Amino acid sequence: MAIGEQDVQSEVPASRLGVSLGRDHASFDVDETVYPLEAVYGGAYLFVDRCFVFLSRPKPQVVNVRLTSRGPATAAELDALAGEFMNEMLSQAARLRLSQATTRIREYYTAAALRAAASAPSVDDLLAELDAEELGDDPLEISVPWDKKGSEPQ
Amino acid sequence: MGQIIFDRSLYTTDAVEAAAAAYAEYADIALEHSSAAVVAVVGAVRGHDRDTIEHSFCNLVLQETVVRMRRAAPTAAREGEQ
Repeated sequence: MAIGEQDVQSEVPASRLGVSLGRDHASFDVDETVYPLEAVYGGAYLFVDRCFVFLSRPKPQVVNVRLTSRGPATAAELDALAGEFMNEMLSQAARLRLSQATTRIREYYTAAALRAAASAPSVDDLLAELDAEELGDDPLEISVPWDKKGSEPQ
Repeated sequence: MGQIIFDRSLYTTDAVEAAAAAYAEYADIALEHSSAAVVAVVGAVRGHDRDTIEHSFCNLVLQETVVRMRRAAPTAAREGEQ
């Protein structure tokens, strides 16, 4: 059977999550109106180290995700793998929405920080300011060495 | 001989081509382009079993697609705001 074809005959209806389980794979449909494609990609990118991931489109706005184990796996393990993928997809979707919602404010703060950095005085400016500063009186006699202070009559 | 169908709405053509080039050492992969999909026809394989090579090839196509999408995303986002 070619990759991406539906494995109807070997499906084992033992999933707690409602995914289709095969001998070595789990597959499920993702509604793109709920999970954006970027979230599916985000999850898939994190899972390619753990299993084989293949995406297909059975109908518009629906992505079929097929996770194939790299070695022998039980139905429970495949079910757990699919569950973890779904959780990751949800996390990616939430992060994406948050990122989109806060784009303006992040841009504003970055611009404000750059403006502040550009207008901050340089080290040379600070040194010049110190040089120009007149030293006032020294009521605590900080500039007088301690041994001279001690030798003075009380 | 296996056929793998990469839907164009999910995989970029560049990514399929890059992965096919990277796997030339392990398999004879011919690409057929249509308006809806890029079909990879996997011929003789070398070094590993067919399943492993085909699945690994699919993983690489997916990785390449995600990398390319992310690289293009900031530009698309800026264009979308205008």
